[in-house]
Amino acid sequence: MANGREYAARRYAMNWLLPAVLMASLAVGNEPVSFNRDIRPIMSDTCFHCHGNDAGTREAGMRLDVREAALKQTEGGVVPIVPGDPDSSAIIQRIFDTDDPMPPESAHKPLSKEQKELFRRWVAEGAIYEPHWAYAPLSRPAVPAGFETANPIDAFIQARLAEKGLTSAAAAPPHVLTRRLALDLTGLPPEAVLPAGGGSLADAALVDALLASPHYGERMAVWWLDIARFADTVGFHGDQNQRIFPYRDYIIEAFNTNKRFDDFTREQLAGDLLPNPTTQQLVATGYNRLNMMTREGGAQPKEYLAKYGAERVRSVAAAWFGSTFGCAECHDHKFDPITARDFYELQAFFADVKQWGVYNNYGYTPEPELRGFDNEHPFPPELHVESPWLKKRHDRLQKRLGNEIATTTQRLANNPAAQAAQSEWESRMGAFFQSHTDGWLTVDPAEARIVNNGKPIADRQAKMSASRAVSSGKPLGSGEAIEIVSSLDGIPAIAAVRLTVDTAAIEPAKRGDLAGSRLTLSLAIHPAEGKPRPVPLRSGEATVKRPVYRSGFEVPGLSNEWRMPFELPENAEPVAVWLTDPVTLAPGERLVASIGGDGKLPVQLAISPLGAIEPSVVAAAHDRAAITTPASARSPEQAARATTVFLLSTAFDRAAFDQVRALRNELDGLFEGRTWTLVTEATPNPLTIRVLPRGNWQDESGAVVLPATPAFLPGRIESTGERRLTRLDLANWLVSDVNPLTPRAVMNRLWAVFFGTGLSAAVDDLGSQGELPTHPELLDWLACEFRDSGWDIQHMIRLIVTSHTYRQSSVFQPTALAADPANRLLASQNPRRLEAEFVRDNALAIAGILNLEDIGGPSVKPYQPGGYYEALQFPNRDYVADTDERQWRRGVYTHWQRTFLHPMLANFDAPARDECAAARTLSNTPQQALTLLNDPIFVEAARKFAERLLANSSPHDDAGRIRLAYRLALNREPREAEATSLASFLAAQREAFTTSPAAAQKLLAVGHAPRPGFDPVEHAVWTQLARVLLNTQEVITRY
Amino acid sequence: MLPTFDPLAIARRSFLHQSAYGLGGMALAMLGHEASAAAVTPPGGTVVPRPDDWNGFLTQPHFPVKAKRVIFLCMAGGPSQFETFDWKPALKELDGKPFPESFTKGQQLAQLQNAELKARGSFVGFQKHGQAGIEVSDLFPHLAGQADRLCVIRSMQTEQINHDTAHAFMNTGSIIKGRPSMGSWLLYGLGSASDNLPGFIVLTSSGKYGPQPISARQWSAGVLPSRFQGIMFQSKGDAVHYIGSPPGVCQSTQRQVVEEVARLNGLLGKEQNDPEIATRIAQYEMAFRMQSSVPELTDFSGETQETLDLYGVKEPGDGSFASNCLLARRLAERGVRMIQLYHRAWDHHSNIEPGMQEGAAAVDKPSAALLEDLARRGLLDDTLVLWGGEFGRTPMGQGSGRDHHILSFSVFLAGGGSKPGTTWGSTDELGYRAVDDVVSVHDLHATMLALLGIDHHRLTTKFQGLDVRLTGVAGNVIKGIMA
Repeated sequence: MANGREYAARRYAMNWLLPAVLMASLAVGNEPVSFNRDIRPIMSDTCFHCHGNDAGTREAGMRLDVREAALKQTEGGVVPIVPGDPDSSAIIQRIFDTDDPMPPESAHKPLSKEQKELFRRWVAEGAIYEPHWAYAPLSRPAVPAGFETANPIDAFIQARLAEKGLTSAAAAPPHVLTRRLALDLTGLPPEAVLPAGGGSLADAALVDALLASPHYGERMAVWWLDIARFADTVGFHGDQNQRIFPYRDYIIEAFNTNKRFDDFTREQLAGDLLPNPTTQQLVATGYNRLNMMTREGGAQPKEYLAKYGAERVRSVAAAWFGSTFGCAECHDHKFDPITARDFYELQAFFADVKQWGVYNNYGYTPEPELRGFDNEHPFPPELHVESPWLKKRHDRLQKRLGNEIATTTQRLANNPAAQAAQSEWESRMGAFFQSHTDGWLTVDPAEARIVNNGKPIADRQAKMSASRAVSSGKPLGSGEAIEIVSSLDGIPAIAAVRLTVDTAAIEPAKRGDLAGSRLTLSLAIHPAEGKPRPVPLRSGEATVKRPVYRSGFEVPGLSNEWRMPFELPENAEPVAVWLTDPVTLAPGERLVASIGGDGKLPVQLAISPLGAIEPSVVAAAHDRAAITTPASARSPEQAARATTVFLLSTAFDRAAFDQVRALRNELDGLFEGRTWTLVTEATPNPLTIRVLPRGNWQDESGAVVLPATPAFLPGRIESTGERRLTRLDLANWLVSDVNPLTPRAVMNRLWAVFFGTGLSAAVDDLGSQGELPTHPELLDWLACEFRDSGWDIQHMIRLIVTSHTYRQSSVFQPTALAADPANRLLASQNPRRLEAEFVRDNALAIAGILNLEDIGGPSVKPYQPGGYYEALQFPNRDYVADTDERQWRRGVYTHWQRTFLHPMLANFDAPARDECAAARTLSNTPQQALTLLNDPIFVEAARKFAERLLANSSPHDDAGRIRLAYRLALNREPREAEATSLASFLAAQREAFTTSPAAAQKLLAVGHAPRPGFDPVEHAVWTQLARVLLNTQEVITRY
Repeated sequence: MLPTFDPLAIARRSFLHQSAYGLGGMALAMLGHEASAAAVTPPGGTVVPRPDDWNGFLTQPHFPVKAKRVIFLCMAGGPSQFETFDWKPALKELDGKPFPESFTKGQQLAQLQNAELKARGSFVGFQKHGQAGIEVSDLFPHLAGQADRLCVIRSMQTEQINHDTAHAFMNTGSIIKGRPSMGSWLLYGLGSASDNLPGFIVLTSSGKYGPQPISARQWSAGVLPSRFQGIMFQSKGDAVHYIGSPPGVCQSTQRQVVEEVARLNGLLGKEQNDPEIATRIAQYEMAFRMQSSVPELTDFSGETQETLDLYGVKEPGDGSFASNCLLARRLAERGVRMIQLYHRAWDHHSNIEPGMQEGAAAVDKPSAALLEDLARRGLLDDTLVLWGGEFGRTPMGQGSGRDHHILSFSVFLAGGGSKPGTTWGSTDELGYRAVDDVVSVHDLHATMLALLGIDHHRLTTKFQGLDVRLTGVAGNVIKGIMA
């Protein structure tokens, strides 16, 4: 077929870039000229810039976007439009004027002859205006007569096809349809998501099974997270991490439980304002906090608050209106009736969202609530919540730790040498407990002195209190510390150390010194002769402390630095305990403790020979009781406890001790399964919002505005002197019957998910510069059905995917070429390349390594080229790829670094999510080829895919394995030509790897996934075949 | 090269025929869509033929084509004009004294907000250089030696006072996210003249003082198709992500994979009538070519010692600015349309003396060498070089440094039809504000596009109903800086 490629290319072209004007002119025959279809697009493109809504740039006093204005005589004495009389209409005279045409040559937007004639006809027919389709009130259109089918969608589509003399394509073959449904509804291939044999489920049951899958929520989340601009980092300048993943969990859950879209809207915009909000409703308000934020030195809070506010308007308008409000930040919209006032009134709804312009307490612009902040800090306000994923991991790990301790204790109990050592240790402990009943030795600071880098300062004296607390008297300088030397008489070993701030010793007037102060501690053993050896502090914890953050996340416990909060509880008794590496003291050895920091707080130093699983329970009463009870008198529980304490105090079995400590540290990092997440906190004093002339935040001459919905939309609500409208009012209005735009916008975008293109192709602009829908009645019908069904997303999806329109073949019908080159009328389905996340998910699922067990949880780090974050500073970033099961999680969980999005995602067109991204571009680039060919995750996937083929016990022959490969990858049998071609490919690869088995080993070494022992050459050869399949267009496309 | 077989051959023909770099099926769409807008007879009446190396969306030049490519040496962080190209004796005299309030009142400051303002004179001397007697600071002796090739603009102004947004403004003419970077515009408008390298390449290097984070957003294609985005070459690991075949896969076994993918895709194409398939085949071929061309590009073994010394390259490929400048020349030779080098070491809030000395030592020689080397090879005539930061620095001191400043800063152009041996514009006596022949960022962009043969009003794309362009709704071509 000679011109197949040509029409296909044209079709593709049209799909993406067909201008509204062309579409419109295609539609006109002898039928009357329609303002919305034929005239408005041209006017919007060529007239409204100077003769539209923006009074600031209106020329010659002529306004054409409103009929009554266009019919009036202008100041220049001309009448723009005289209905029924083109020749007397100024606009017709001018557009046909060859000397001084409109639009002017300088606009570079000449009208075609056909367009000019359209205008003339329109005026001749009475110059009938129509309200812009998207803003017109919504009412349910009748299903076209004569096309009554089970599914109303098909009726609308087929009626339009019939007008053009076209018919739908035949249904796609079952294997194609099954794969299409699985990929569209879950982002996964059928084999991974359906029960064995599920591919043959009856159609309706298949759809039900897919919608019921927890992976449906993950798939739909990708769609919404783009709109919500969800990311793991703040985006501006240093692009630091922000804590927000529970919001993603909320979104996934919302789709999986089919949350009504009206509630979904209310919770995200105003969950905090609902009566008695649930934790989940508060988590949902993270939406309002997903704007980009800055911490850049020199940035002005006010300027950035203006930027955040403006972004929020753009994103909310894009998400719920499908409209572009951006222009109105600086001036009235030129093409749409959106005024600058509308923009700032919408912004005013969000004026109560508590946020800082610049997330630091810079000297030039103090932010008292951000005291102590640096580049490692998070971005409050945040909410402390439990994460099911973290909790599950925490509980699993805790169990593992318990088992580890139990088995080690059992092993030691059965080991005579250990028993002997334990009993010897217990007798020394017994002696220690006689004089130190609580298990702690408070160090006598008699030999305390002030040192500078270890050297005593002659004229400085440490201060001592009766309670054996020590302080420096005056602040310590850099390098200075209080040094306490002790021979530690009476203690056989060191396993823990404690600092207690003796609050009783602080003069009442100086209690304030405590807040915000810091202490540091280091320990060393000094032998009588030779070098001192440091005593490393391991796990530490304090009763009160200021948390330490690294790259936005809290570091558990204490390092050797202990910082007091800026706000301390009235009766705080600050105590910190660290576990040390267990140390035994030889005769003559002395302990030297250096206490640095502010130096003004009186602190007691105490040592314990007892270790514990965590610092807060060192020398617990039941530990002491177990040890001091004679072995013969111990209960089994006490016996086990005594052995455990022995292990933790002495590290008798070093390997077991290290393992226990490592597990415990990992557990500490899980914070009992709790985490923090950005939320909306309403401040009682909302920011004053003004209309900013030209968007200039320094210009305070504009009017102050209060929250109100856009004036150009029906059912406007406004704040009054008595009552300021809230975000909840906005949310309620958005999903009320009076607002026609939201259901249209959402349904148009949902349609694009299943057909590749929206009914109005510009899913991010339903305004007059966008595109009149190809099927306006269908879109309105869907919008009504959506609203009337109780905002039921799954209901709408079910309607769509059970329609014939959805289920028909995606092979383009050549007969449709002339009438519908872009396939906008849908005489066939459109193939759709998978989105970035699903390109990954699909490959990993085919390989059998996709982690489908976990749903939700923190973001993960797939393999990433080294050095990619080199240009990220404040703080410097180190990307460490996950090596456990997190490595093979779904793409939706990938760490989303706004300024350096993971290259695999970026290469496949995932947006950085700086702002609302309602539509992804779909490119086709060499970078995509390089990624699929060479990114280690795809090489590893190929290796594991090969293992699936090799492990399959029958059949063993090449042909059988190729068939299996096609079933797994594409849910179909290979064509003969494909099987033949792959067979010769296998032969060539076999030859290459047989002569170079070392190369095979290298290829198989890629990736962390386990490597079962197959013959390396065969394994490499099949890995290569798997690479081929994973790189094919068919695998990354939903046909 | 790949042996030719049916699907690939067809794809390649169409690919080369239509090609912008990374061309997808959409490029054709774009040509079809915009041809009507672009093929307007220019006001002069005669249709200028499309230059041989143009294959993007613009069907013909709007102005005589002087430059074919751009090299932007971006001194990220904002170098001080008072220690580079704007000699202010009066400021030197005022050194340490209060800065006159008449200058600063009501102006936006960054970290100096609410601080006492004191003048800081230049800590270096300036001499006149070249036939034109251009004043260049003593920190830049090598660039001073190129004075007769420079077109120094001393009257630059920008609108953004913080790094992130100022870079966005300098690269895209806007701070709204999603606006295409200058390189993406060029690639979109003109296409690439290379069929085995990306057409817009970004290199970054850092220095000791004042490192600045740089976002990949700065080379984003924004609302243009993503094939027009800049590709960052890394100094560590593979220069281009995923450019190396997997371990154990040699060129020949990799080629067999690529061929087999093409063959299977070809079989699919016969059934599906999906134009993406042909494009995909072409992209795999391009990717495979890149796998050889990128290593060849970054292999400096063919460069003479004299050349390495000219740039001051100590270790080829070490990611230094010197090495990147040499790489920039190699990219220019290979037809890359836009080459952008970041040197991230110019944010001198403090320690401006060692900071400027260190920064100048790192960039002076290589920048000058690049001009010299391009000139020797006849490439400077059609290569437009831009050197400068995202903003300037205050004539007031900030501790031992200077704060950000947007009302005056200096950049220079060289080659590509810019006017050699020229200075343009001037600032007031203390260098606080550009006063004569002020050049906005939009003006700079408009002029650069003009040198490339493009009317900045007519390089547009539709987005959300708007005709988006690099210069927003502003921009004047500055004739005085064009040769």
